[in-house]
Amino acid sequence: MFLQPLDLTTALRPTLLPDEALLFVQDAVGLYEGKYKIPGLQNGHAYLTTHRVCYVDNMEPRKSSTAVELKSVDRYEFYAGFLKSSPKITLHPKAPKRASIQIRSHSTIPNPQRAAQSPSRSSTTSPVHRGASAFSNSGSGSNTPRSNTATWVCTICSFSNPVPANFDTATANSNTPLPACVTCGVKPSFPHVLKASIANAAGRQGSQSQSQAAVQPLLESHGQYRENSSIEYIEALWREESALPAKSRFQCPRCTFLNHPSLLACELCGAPLLTTESKAAEVLGERIGRPESPGPSLDSASLGIDHDMECVKFSFHAGGEKIFHERLKGAMVQRKWLLQNAPPVPDSSPGNAYSTAIPIDGDIGQPSVRARTVGIAGLERQGLELRRKNEAVIGSAFEDLDALMASAKEVVALAESFAKKSDEGSADANQLIAESAKALDMVTTKDMLGSSAGSESLYLSEMARNLAEYLTDDAKGILRKEGGIMSLVDLWAVFNRARGGVELISPMDFEKAARLWEKLRLPVRLRQFKNGLLVVQQADRTDDKTIAQLLSWLQELHTSSFIPEVGWGHEAFGRGVTAQEAAHRFGWSVGVASEELDMAEEKGALCREEGIEGLRFWENWIVDDESDDFDDDINVDPFFEIDQVMKNLEDMGIF
Amino acid sequence: MDSLQSLTAESFTYPQSYSFPPFFTLQPNLQTRLSQLRKWSRLIQRYCRHYHIFKLSLVSALDTSLFKNAELRKRLSLNDALQVVDWMTRDEGGRRAEWIDGGLDAKGGTAWVYWKRPEEWAEVIVGWVEETGQKSTVLTLYELINGEMTVGQGTVSRDWRPKSNAHGTLDFHGMDPDLFQRSLAVLVKRSKAQVFGSEDQQGVKFF
Repeated sequence: MFLQPLDLTTALRPTLLPDEALLFVQDAVGLYEGKYKIPGLQNGHAYLTTHRVCYVDNMEPRKSSTAVELKSVDRYEFYAGFLKSSPKITLHPKAPKRASIQIRSHSTIPNPQRAAQSPSRSSTTSPVHRGASAFSNSGSGSNTPRSNTATWVCTICSFSNPVPANFDTATANSNTPLPACVTCGVKPSFPHVLKASIANAAGRQGSQSQSQAAVQPLLESHGQYRENSSIEYIEALWREESALPAKSRFQCPRCTFLNHPSLLACELCGAPLLTTESKAAEVLGERIGRPESPGPSLDSASLGIDHDMECVKFSFHAGGEKIFHERLKGAMVQRKWLLQNAPPVPDSSPGNAYSTAIPIDGDIGQPSVRARTVGIAGLERQGLELRRKNEAVIGSAFEDLDALMASAKEVVALAESFAKKSDEGSADANQLIAESAKALDMVTTKDMLGSSAGSESLYLSEMARNLAEYLTDDAKGILRKEGGIMSLVDLWAVFNRARGGVELISPMDFEKAARLWEKLRLPVRLRQFKNGLLVVQQADRTDDKTIAQLLSWLQELHTSSFIPEVGWGHEAFGRGVTAQEAAHRFGWSVGVASEELDMAEEKGALCREEGIEGLRFWENWIVDDESDDFDDDINVDPFFEIDQVMKNLEDMGIF
Repeated sequence: MDSLQSLTAESFTYPQSYSFPPFFTLQPNLQTRLSQLRKWSRLIQRYCRHYHIFKLSLVSALDTSLFKNAELRKRLSLNDALQVVDWMTRDEGGRRAEWIDGGLDAKGGTAWVYWKRPEEWAEVIVGWVEETGQKSTVLTLYELINGEMTVGQGTVSRDWRPKSNAHGTLDFHGMDPDLFQRSLAVLVKRSKAQVFGSEDQQGVKFF
């Protein structure tokens, strides 16, 4: 249930829920389940929204796109990448509640699979991978009995000190007195002891992985653990591992020294720690697997609904992981999905129902009906009203818990805006502008994409999708209003206007994005007329369809509109039409109409009549050779020189 | 030419395309243009054969009903007419015309219209000679073109000839002397005739 099916828009982007906002997009992303690659989901776009992390495949977007809801994510991990192993972000699902007892019993016995994997020492697995566990929530440290044998390693002299017996991981805080190191007398830091104690408690349960799973929620609860500093995190991992039980260490075959499991050669005697066959396997794996990515992939598509996922990893082949991680962190903190069903705040002042509420949140710009006052007084008054309103919102929100829940949405919006205002002012304005652009549904901004190498092309492809969505949006009906075709320049103007004058797109970027439509297989296409005019059309609207449309119209004219003084066979030929008439008829602009007529002429469906009244287009009766009589021997066929040669040869008596 | 035209004007039937307005605008589309040129070529050849025209001056013909449809108030422009005839002179047009005064660039606009090419005329002449048993006799050019004996062979046949058997029965009576000389030159080249004599008094002997 962890991986959810995903609905896509016409432009092959995830359909956003109401209130959901796009935070970040990154291309060249692959998906792992646990340690294994998921086949078919190895090259796509990752979309981070306020509610979900979506994966949209590049090859089969409709079939193999999937999403992870943030609300079912228990925690996430960041792995910075190592050599050819791409950076990854791991999402751990929340454990199902019913399984908790079973898990306890399960977690107390060593996992045979894990025990088997550890000695095999696959060099591709990183420490983070090894720490991955399906049941991360189970080993909560506060439930486990404390161990008297817990030790912490002094950072100065590396002596293993016992953790004091009165040190309770659940209740201790930074004010708890800590004993100094027995040998060197330096006091340890609180988090250091805490980590050691928890690691020990978890380690006793037989699996070192539990420790790491348990560390994080606890540390978070103590407010000591800063998750954004990955160095500290990795350090913590390392320290845990240094306190590993001897069993999981790797014994040197020559000198029997117990080495750290991630070492390749013995720390003491330098003997290689890898057996020959595992090396051979590694070399083989290197040769076969490298062009793709070193990780193994799932052999069977086991993405069943009731399949319990260990964890899901997003592997970033082309960078962008840092920003993704930052934004993911933000989204996990904000928890916007909680607010999805929150009712709007009850307005305390009914007479002032439509006053400007919170200007930062872009979509609350409802038309105000308050009395107009001009000048500085008006501005002052506006500000005063705004402050009063905000005061009321905050005041009523904290009156009781129900009210807080009810007005949660607006309080969060306010809090966000305050937080932004307290930041330095320079980036502030930009952010605000981007925010309002987002509110207009024009979600792709340069700000949202990383500054990695491929971000320019990613920006363009995202904009192409954005444009396609904008064009095919039935509610707006941009293309329909223009008769199914509009010039690129017009579209550029309309689109930039819809952006509200901010985050404007340069014409060059715009054209580049439009040229990507075909490549991205989007439902709109860019067409170039022979005079260079670029127009936008629905992809299924081909030239043939246009011609058929034109011809059926001209057929109609055979009978419908009779002009008395015509000198030609009206019934036979119909009547010529000008570009203006065509534009009027089909709702095109005149430029487009004349281009369409030219196109039809070029395809031989129409022919032209130039006269003093202007250019008219007719059904093409000229190519129809049957209309003229063949009663005589008039020859208009091409003259072949070969006849002459044959004749000469004949005359010379050869034939 | 005018007298001939007035005599037989009512009998020439224009093709249907003649009453199609775009027919009088040279089409930019290559395929359409080819069809149009073929139709114009056919029209010009038929028209010239009907009125027994061998040499067409475009500038003066532009106001005749060949290029001008009074009913439609449409006319092929001089430039387009030059293009049409120029196409007819080329291989792809079947060499159905030949510029007399330097062609398109010279803007003279006078051309032979070969509703029969000289080689074809040569066949007709040989056919007539054999039919009337004039082999090995000496005939003057003047009597061949204007003489009494060639009068009947064309004008009569045009009225009763069956459509399928049209080829080879057309008259060369009243033919342009220059064109007639060209046709005879073809025969001389094939050594089926011999031309002798001076400017005015040229004679020809068929073998």
